[in-house]
Amino acid sequence: MIEVAGLKKRFKLTKDHKKNKVDDIDPREDKDYFHSVRDVSFRCAEGEVLGLLGPNGAGKTTTLRMISTALKPDEGSITIAGNDIVKKPLLGRKSIGFLSGSTGLYGRLTVKENIEYFAKLHGMKKSDIASRCDELFTLLDMHKFIDKRAENLSTGMKQKANIARAVVHRPAVVVLDEPTTGLDIMTTQTVIEFIKGLKAQGTPVIFSTHHLDEVALLCDRVAVINEGISCFDGTVEAFKQAGNSEELNQAFMNILTEKHNV
Amino acid sequence: MFEVYKKELKELLRDKKTLMFVVLLPVLIFPVIFAIVAFIGTQAALDADQKVNTYVIINGEYAQEFTDKVFYHKSFELYKGSKTFNTIEELKAGVTAGDIDMGIYLPSNAVKTLDNGEQSKWQVVFNDAKSINFLFDRVKELAQEYSDVLQAEKLKSFGIEESAHKSILNPIEVVKVDTADKRENLGEKIGAYLPYLLIPLVLMGATYPAIDLGAGEKERGTLETLLLTPITRTELVLGKFITLLTTSIASTTITVVSMGCWVAVALAFADLDFIKTAFSTLAVTDLLMIFVLLLPLAAIFSSLALAISIYARTFKEAQNYMAPLSMGVFFPIIISIMPNMELTAKTAFIPVTNVALAIKDIIKGTVDYTFVGLIFLATVLIAGALLAFCVKWFNREDVLFR
Repeated sequence: MIEVAGLKKRFKLTKDHKKNKVDDIDPREDKDYFHSVRDVSFRCAEGEVLGLLGPNGAGKTTTLRMISTALKPDEGSITIAGNDIVKKPLLGRKSIGFLSGSTGLYGRLTVKENIEYFAKLHGMKKSDIASRCDELFTLLDMHKFIDKRAENLSTGMKQKANIARAVVHRPAVVVLDEPTTGLDIMTTQTVIEFIKGLKAQGTPVIFSTHHLDEVALLCDRVAVINEGISCFDGTVEAFKQAGNSEELNQAFMNILTEKHNV
Repeated sequence: MFEVYKKELKELLRDKKTLMFVVLLPVLIFPVIFAIVAFIGTQAALDADQKVNTYVIINGEYAQEFTDKVFYHKSFELYKGSKTFNTIEELKAGVTAGDIDMGIYLPSNAVKTLDNGEQSKWQVVFNDAKSINFLFDRVKELAQEYSDVLQAEKLKSFGIEESAHKSILNPIEVVKVDTADKRENLGEKIGAYLPYLLIPLVLMGATYPAIDLGAGEKERGTLETLLLTPITRTELVLGKFITLLTTSIASTTITVVSMGCWVAVALAFADLDFIKTAFSTLAVTDLLMIFVLLLPLAAIFSSLALAISIYARTFKEAQNYMAPLSMGVFFPIIISIMPNMELTAKTAFIPVTNVALAIKDIIKGTVDYTFVGLIFLATVLIAGALLAFCVKWFNREDVLFR
C-alpha cells in the first residue's frame, strides 16, 4: 500500500521567469515561488492500479517525481507499507520502480548491460540478476535484441528495455509517468499487458495518463489533480458518479469544471 | 561507486569522440601539429634567408667600400628599374609600392664627417612588419664592417698601434661565467613552456568526458533513473569523479609517452646532441614527481568540470561553460612565466601556477622538495574542497532539475 498525504512542493522562480512573466493569472505563482503542488493526497493498495489524471501543468509529474524520491516534498508524507520514504529516501528507491516517457537508456551499452547495471546499483546478487533478467527478457519478449546497443533500438524496443530496467529489482510499488506517450499501438499494448501483469501479482501501480481509455481498461482507482490540488480520489465508479457521467472523458471534464467554478 | 566507475569507463571507451579527445589527439595530432609548425617555421626562415632583395643606395659614393660590399652580397640586387630615387620620401614610396625592398640613404661622406669629429647617421628604409626579416641585420653587419675599417684607420692616423686598438675601444670586457649547467639552462627554456602543454591536456582529458557524464546524462534522460537507485549522491559523484580523473591522467600519460617516443624518433634520425644530453640528465624520479603533481591538479579539473557539466541543461550549454574554464586555466600558467616568478612559500599556494613553477624547477633540477610537498598539500586540499562542493551540487534539486 502506498499513501500520499498533503504533498506540497514549490520552486523558486528564476530571474528570467520573473522578467518574462506575462500576467498574474496563475494562482500558483507568488512573488518568488511557483507552487507546483499545493495539496495532493491519494492512496493505492496492493493489486490496485491508480490512474493519476489532470490537465497539462497540473502537477502530476512533480507529484510522481516526489513519490520516486527524485524531488523532496516541502510538506506532506509518502508512506509505503508504513515507512515514510520522505524521511527514508534510500528505502523508497529500493521499493519503487519508476518509468516515464522521457527516461532514457545508456546508448553505448547493450540492453542486457543496461538492465544488469541498474540491478547492481539496486544491490542485487549476481545469480539473482541473471535469473531475474532472463525472466524479464522472456516476459517482455526481448531475447532477440538484448545484445544490441540501446542507441540502435526502435522506440518500442527501448520502451520494453525501460520497463525491464524499472522493475528489475522487484519493486513494491511501480510508478509510471505517461508510459504510453509517443508509442505505437503494438508497444502500447505491451505496456498495458505489463501493467495488467503487475496488478495480477498484487503490485500497486500508479500511472499518469491523458488516455482515459487506458484508465477504463486498467484502473481500479482514479486521482485527479488540478492546479496542484487534489480534486478527486476514489474508485472508477465513484469518479463517474462525481462527474455525473458514464463517459470517463465527460466525467473528467465535469469534475475539473466544477472544481474550477468552486 | 565502483559500479558507476566501471560503467562510465565502459561507455566512454565505446565513444569514438571521447577516444579521439583522450587517446588519438594526444598520440597523433600534437606531434603532427608540432611537426607542421616546425616545418612551416623553418621553411619561412629558409625563404627569408634565400630571398634576394632589390635595393637603392642614395649617395653611395660617400662610402664606396660599403656600397661595393652591398653590391656583391648574395642577398642584395641593385634596382635596375626606370625610377629614380633622390630623397628619403622617394625611398619610402618605392618600398611601399614594392619597386624596391630596401633603400639606404647616406647623408654625407662618412670619412669627412669623422674628420670633423661627428657621427654619420645612415637611414635604412624597409618594411619591418614582415614576420621574418633579415634585411636590417645584414645591412647593419656590412655597415659595421665599414665602420670598423674607418675606426681602425682613424686610430692609426693618431699613431696608435693596431694592437692597442682593442683596449682603447673597449677598455672593459664583461665576461659571463655561468654556473648553470646544461640541464638548468634547458629547464629555464623548455621547463617554462612544458606546463603549457601538460596542464591544458590534463584539463582537456577531464572536460570532454565530463560533459558526457553530467549534461549528457541529463539530455539523454538517464540522470533521473540513476538518481532513483539506492546509491548515495556521494557514491554517484565519486564514481563519476574517478572516471574523469582516470581519463584526465590517461590523456596526460599518453601525451607524455607519445612526446617521449617522438623525441626518441627525432633523435634517432637527427644529430641533436644538446637535446640528447639535456634529456639524459632527467631522471625517472623527476618525471614521476611531475606526474604526482599533476594528479591533484587533475582532481581539481575533474571536480570543476563535473560541477559545471551537471549544472548545464544540455551538452551544448556545458560546452559553452567549459570555454571560460579553459581560459581560466591558461591565466595562472601565464603568470608562472612572468619575470621574477619563482617557487616560494607564497606562490606554492597559487593553484595551477604553483604546479607550473614546480615543473619548471624539476626540469631545471633546482626544485626545493619542501615546496613540492606544500604544493601537493595545497592542491589536494583545493581538490577535496571542490569535490565536496560537487557532492553538494549533486544534492541540489535546482541544479539537477533546472
